[in-house]
Parts: sequence; C-alpha cells; structure tokens
Amino acid sequence: MKHSYDFNIDKIKNLSLEEKILRQKDLDLFYKSGFPTKQIEDWKFTDLDLILNKNFDSISNDVNFEKDNELETIKNFEHNYIFLTNGKIISTNFIYEEKNKILISEYDHKEKNNLDSNNTLALLNNALSSGGFSLEVTKNYKLKKPLVVYNYFSKDLKNKIINNKNSIKLNEGSELTLIDYSNDNTQSNFIKNTIDVISLKKNAILKNILIQNSKSNGHFYKYIKGSLEDNSNYENYILSSGLKLNKIEIEINLNKDNSRCSIYAALNLLEDQHQEIKTRINHNSPNCKSYQKIKNVLNDKSKGVYQGKIFVEKIAQKTDAYQLSKALILHDEAEFDAKPELEIYADDVKCSHGSTSGNIDSDAVYYLMTRGIPKKEAEKILINGFLNEILENLADSEIKIFLEKILERQINGY
Amino acid sequence: MLTIKNLTATINEKLILKGLNLEIKPGEVHAIMGPNGSGKSTLANILSGKNGYKTEGEIKYEGINLNDLKIEERAQKGIFLAFQYPLEIPGVNTNIFLKTSLNSVRKARGEEALDTLTFLKLIKEKAKELNIDENFLTRQLNVGFSGGEKKKNEILQMKLLEPKLSILDETDSGLDIDALRIVADGVNSYKNKENAFLIITHYQRLLDYIKPDYIHVLSAGNIVKTGNADLGKQLEKTGYANLS
Repeated sequence: MKHSYDFNIDKIKNLSLEEKILRQKDLDLFYKSGFPTKQIEDWKFTDLDLILNKNFDSISNDVNFEKDNELETIKNFEHNYIFLTNGKIISTNFIYEEKNKILISEYDHKEKNNLDSNNTLALLNNALSSGGFSLEVTKNYKLKKPLVVYNYFSKDLKNKIINNKNSIKLNEGSELTLIDYSNDNTQSNFIKNTIDVISLKKNAILKNILIQNSKSNGHFYKYIKGSLEDNSNYENYILSSGLKLNKIEIEINLNKDNSRCSIYAALNLLEDQHQEIKTRINHNSPNCKSYQKIKNVLNDKSKGVYQGKIFVEKIAQKTDAYQLSKALILHDEAEFDAKPELEIYADDVKCSHGSTSGNIDSDAVYYLMTRGIPKKEAEKILINGFLNEILENLADSEIKIFLEKILERQINGY
Repeated sequence: MLTIKNLTATINEKLILKGLNLEIKPGEVHAIMGPNGSGKSTLANILSGKNGYKTEGEIKYEGINLNDLKIEERAQKGIFLAFQYPLEIPGVNTNIFLKTSLNSVRKARGEEALDTLTFLKLIKEKAKELNIDENFLTRQLNVGFSGGEKKKNEILQMKLLEPKLSILDETDSGLDIDALRIVADGVNSYKNKENAFLIITHYQRLLDYIKPDYIHVLSAGNIVKTGNADLGKQLEKTGYANLS
C-alpha cells in the first residue's frame, strides 16, 4: 500500500541539503519494507501494516504545529512543565528550579541515535522527525518538583503521522521525575511515532511515568532507549488505557555496575483497543538489577501483548532479573499474548519470569459482596486493586494519589 | 429473627444438610458444634448467599424469604458472616474497602454516606477497641496478616457494619489465647437485646468467653442434640462419637 503514503521530506522546515539527502536515504530504506507486519518476529502479535490499512485511507507527514485548543493542566501537585503540540515545544517552565541547572532546547535532529536499523519505524522517524526536546540536568542537581511533559494534539490530524524525538540526559548524581502526559481530545485517527533517548550517568535517578489521560483514536508507537551508568536507577510506570493502538518498546542497557531498572505497567483495555509492551533489558555489566511487572485488564474484544526479553552478557555476573505479567481476561473475545524470553550467558545469576492469565477471583467477589458491596462495584474494586498493585513501591505520595485517581478514571472508561 | 425449616442442601450432587431446623430470636447466642464435614460451614455459606448450593426447605429472615435476597442485600439487611478463612486481596487498601462496605450498607439503609474524615475517625475508634494497630488499616486487605490479625479484622468489620445476625464461622481457629480474649470481648461488647449470634466452632474454649444460650450439635447434616451452655463442657469430655 506504498502508494497511499504521502511522505515528503520537503515538508520539513529548515533542513540543509545534506540533511535532506540523509533523510531521503532513510525514507528509501523504509519504503523497501514498509510498516512492520506480523511476519517480523518483533511484531508477531501486532500487525501494524494490517491495522493501519484498516484504519487509514492515506497517511501524510504534513503536520501543523500550532496550538489550536485550550490546554488543560494538572492541578493536583506543583510541577515544572514542557508543552508539546503535535510533538513540538510550545512553551516550557521551570519556575521551581534553580537557574542554569536545567538545559532545555529543541531536539537536534542531526544527532545520530544508533537504533536497530531493522526497525522500520525508527527509519521512518529518522527520515521525517521534527520537533521534540532535549533536556539535560546538570551534575548533582535534584529537581525540587516533578516535570510534566504535556502532549497535546491539534484538531487537523486526520490521516497524519507525527514523528519526533526527545532526549533526556541526567548527569552524575542528578534526579528527575518526568511525567509524560498525553491528552488527545481531537477524535481524529493519526499516528504518533516517538523515540525517547535516555542517558543516566553515575548515581542518577529517573522516574519516568507515562500517562494517557483520554480515549484516543490515535495510533501510538514509542521507543524508549535507555543507557545506564554505575549505580543509576531508571523507574518506569505506564498507565495508558483507552488508545486505539499503542505499542511501547523499552530497551534498557545496564552498562555499568549496580545500575537498576524497573518497569511497571497497568493497562485497562476496552472495545477493540490493542496495546503492546515490549521490553528488552540488556544486562551488560555485573551486579545489575531489573524488575518488570506488567498488568493487563482486557474487556470486550481488546488485545493485550507483552513481549519481554532479558539478556544477560557473559560478564554480567550477579545479575538479578525478574519479570512477571498478569492478565485478567473479562470477556471471551478478549486476548492476551505473552512472550517472555531469557537469554543468559553468565553463570552466576538470578533470573525469574512468570505469566498468568485468568478471570476475576469469584471467591474475592463473594467476600466483598458479603460486606454489602454490589457485584459490579466489587468487581471494579478488584480490578482496581489488581492494577493498583504496580504503584505499591512508588514513594512520592502526592504522585501516587494522582496516579490512583487516573487509574480509577481509566477503569471507568474515562 | 431467623427461622430455618427442613433445610436440605446439595453441592456437586452431594447432600450436605438433611432437613435442618433452627430458630434464632433477637438477643440470643446460638452455638453450633460438630465434627468436621457435618455441614457447619455449609450452613454459614448458605445463610450468606454463596453460590453453588442447591437448597430446599425454608429460610426466613425477619419475615423475608432469604432466597429472594442477593448476597449484598443480605449484608445490607444485617446478616454478617465472619469468614473461617478471610481472603487476602492484593492492591485493595483496607480502609478504602471498609469505607466502601460501610457506605454501601448505609446507603441501603437510607443513611447518608460518611465522608473520609468522619469514616477515619470512626474506624480508628473501632480498631482501638480491638487492639488493632492503625497501620493495618492502610495496608492491603489481609495481605501478609497473621491468622489472628485476619480474624480480628473480621470482627472489626462486624462492629463497623452493626449487623443484626452475626455468623462467626470458626473465628476461634488460629487464635492465640490473647487474641481469643480480644475477639470474645469484641463480640460481648456488641451483644445486645436486638441482635443475635450464630457461632460455629469445634471447641468449647471460645464458649468459655462468649456464653451461648443454646448449643446445637450438628452431625451428618442434621442437628442431633440441643442443650444449654453445659452441653459444650460435656462434649469436651465425651466427644461427638456417642451422639450420632
């Protein structure tokens, strides 16, 4: 269906001739294979080409970046912010922080990103990306308030694709809580293809919380690539329900000793929504820790997918890696696919994984009903509890309460 | 308050209760004792409305045919079952569960729902009476609680919901002597002329603390003997073997 794409590099502003040539090369490479199909192992549960064919007449990259609707902000806690419309910076505000500790600019697309070249969405992103931000926190600076990155969308996005890249770099000893907050009230079907490149230096801590706060006909793909140095810590939370299609790929490279990462996801899918979380944790150094807990609640005809790979290099002794995916399947037509994978070359490691799926525990429903709680509400409490469990270890109580509220809204279908 | 006439109950085609009769009046404490497999828990489950049983006969609760009430309606109308094995429910905060439960019951009674602050004040008082650490209330429901803590949590729920008929299904099992006393005190302080208790137990020891008006011996699906508090002490000496 190549002919129904209208991808044009000339629509991207301010490119040098050299950049145009490089981008055209990537675009040509993309065209050779097109959007991924289920024949590609990484996409076996999410046939993107088929899904796009079904939902789009044509796709073009002719995206306008102007803000055209009022932006709703979070009132629950004080925070810094970056506003993005269609992936491009509209405004930023770091009023709670000291001066010169945070560097923020538009993403420099000339930067090379070394992503797996088999990933055609990365090729497409390289060819077409514009917008996005680069954020750097200076050495030993710990942000006093969280940073919210607001992702808003303009109303004219029908049949459009947004491609952008962001870069987040935390220098030695710095700390940041970054909330990636998406709100789409446009109802139009569009595609968003985003690459986040994350670099954590020694002892740095990043809490990266991904929130979807509205139903959306958008088709989202996000690739997060993290590189961690000594004793740094990446904590990721995903609360994204209500999207027509969402695939989040997370690649974390534990490159230096004692680095740690954890990934927690709570997804509640309705109707024909389809979400996939795919992770690859590379234990490239000794004494590193990774932890993954993925929870899906699947209603109606929805489909949830988890592909999780833990890769342990020969030198990565004393690795401690854990992954667990659990699904509640509430209707016969809903589907959950899980593919856990361990590839281990070191001999002194602790790796475990598990996957379960089933219905709501009827004994638990009965227990709650004997306390006067009607069946529907009892089930909701249990679904909430099932998903809520991922927030257990989140220390910041203000954010925790906020996330609990988001989850409740998501369970009620917004 | 409760009248059971000729109740039979079958589960998985196995006949468990075989024509049981029982009458409980307000202000009374009834104990049901009996060997394993005699049908004690089945009776408790049926009264609470648990699915899976086929029953015949009549159960009237305050003049209403109990079969016409859903599980939650029975609770709302004042039937409370303290579970033999209270469930652990991960991710569900104990306080939020208790508040939802209380407000569901209040709503059904036509009372206003309690706001969070009023609720917290109330639950802290009740917890203190049962010597329950406040921190338990912020933890996930029963997760990682010891056997005794779970049972105390059941009694806390009873005192919170203020039922008319409380059914205690082997609440004494798994309790040490101190916890047993606390649970018994909890029951005794709640007991009044308006409400009634059905206490299911294997042993006399709980009945040393909660004095029953009647003791029934259930054996092979039927009540084979009924007596006063002395019957329990007698059974402790002679066992159930000679009764059936």
